[in-house]
Amino acid sequence: MEAPAVQAGPFDIDLDRFHGPLDLLLHLIRNQDIDIFDIPISKITQQFLTAIRNLQRLELERAGEFLEMAATLVRIKAQMLFPRRGDDDEAEDPRADLVRRLLEYEHFREAARLLERAERERSRIYARGFVEVRPAPKLADLPLETTWDEVQSALGALIERLNAPETVHHVRGREIKIDDKIHEILAALQLARRVEFAQIVAPWGTRLHAVATLLASLELAKRSMVRVRQTAPFAALWIYRAKQEREAA
Amino acid sequence: MIRASRVIEALLFASESPLSPADLARADEALDEERVEAAIAELRGEYDRDARAFTIYEVGGGYQLLTRPEFAPVLERFDSVPGAQRLSGPALETLAILAYRQPVGRAEVEEIRGVGAGGVLKTLQERGLIEVVGRGEGLGRPLLYGTTQFFLQHFGFRSLDDLPRSEELPVVLARREQRKEEADGSTAAGVSQAG
Repeated sequence: MEAPAVQAGPFDIDLDRFHGPLDLLLHLIRNQDIDIFDIPISKITQQFLTAIRNLQRLELERAGEFLEMAATLVRIKAQMLFPRRGDDDEAEDPRADLVRRLLEYEHFREAARLLERAERERSRIYARGFVEVRPAPKLADLPLETTWDEVQSALGALIERLNAPETVHHVRGREIKIDDKIHEILAALQLARRVEFAQIVAPWGTRLHAVATLLASLELAKRSMVRVRQTAPFAALWIYRAKQEREAA
Repeated sequence: MIRASRVIEALLFASESPLSPADLARADEALDEERVEAAIAELRGEYDRDARAFTIYEVGGGYQLLTRPEFAPVLERFDSVPGAQRLSGPALETLAILAYRQPVGRAEVEEIRGVGAGGVLKTLQERGLIEVVGRGEGLGRPLLYGTTQFFLQHFGFRSLDDLPRSEELPVVLARREQRKEEADGSTAAGVSQAG
């Protein structure tokens, strides 16, 4: 036997790798260093048929293309068995048409490789406008999920607060500094990735502390040191560590 | 008065697609295509001397400011369509046939590649790389396809003359053609008679 057609195993060929029957045929010829002008048609036909034995895995149209080539090879093989009529020099080698097609196809397959290389090189130079500005989504584009129930319960909460016994007047002891609140938030975020706003405020229990803490968290958000998230209006407010630590921008 | 090269620079900077010498010359009465070319040569010289990150490339019959290839690794990170958009092998083969043989009908493409071409032609057309350029003779007057201006831009060719010539094709092919010539010389059919 001759050398194997493919290094991996004699005819262990993945048909999906080939762009069609001509591609496969060229592979068999070139990989075995066969002279394309003198193709051993019997051997090549055998190898081609072996290679396409798993054809049923391909879709019908592709399978048809390979089968058509198989039929052509078998026909040429048969024609080779007959002696040419007389000494007519005009009588063409039965392989001639196939050889012409293979060479033509090979030419364009090479040209396609060059195009691919040109494309790869071209893709390494960029025009203005390539780096896109990513606009923040418009408010109108964001889904709004507030229901009427939420509005009503907010109203209820407001009324309840107004009716609650006033305690603010008694808490005027010391000034509340936003800087202190900033440190409080950052200290809390040292311990956990996120912290609920209410948790930070809870120990103080007054509105002024809540306001100062809110301002502090907004200030930190502005500096990109934290992210503030609320999934729905009046839902729990969470303060997250910023994803990337951007120091002293 | 503003120097011609500065005018050209302003236009190229403000444009996101290639501008032809004629386009550029329209900017100022004092300009013609020859002066445009001279200004572009001057700008290129400046950009090279100052080692700018971009220079003027000629693509698809026009001039365009593009970044130099060595900045690709940096810019790739900003690709909004990651892993984009290389043409498949069959698409490239079909495109090669069209580029060298245009105008070409579907039947000829299928004959050369030995496989159906309908899907690939449609994809290439949708991508703006090829277009219908006419109708052929014969039954049903088949549609003929050719490559577009965008094809030239996409592959960085100035014109179809920039397509690799057969002598630039890899060695295998050159050797093959040499052999073909020899064979053509020795036997009439180009195929030896051994069997």
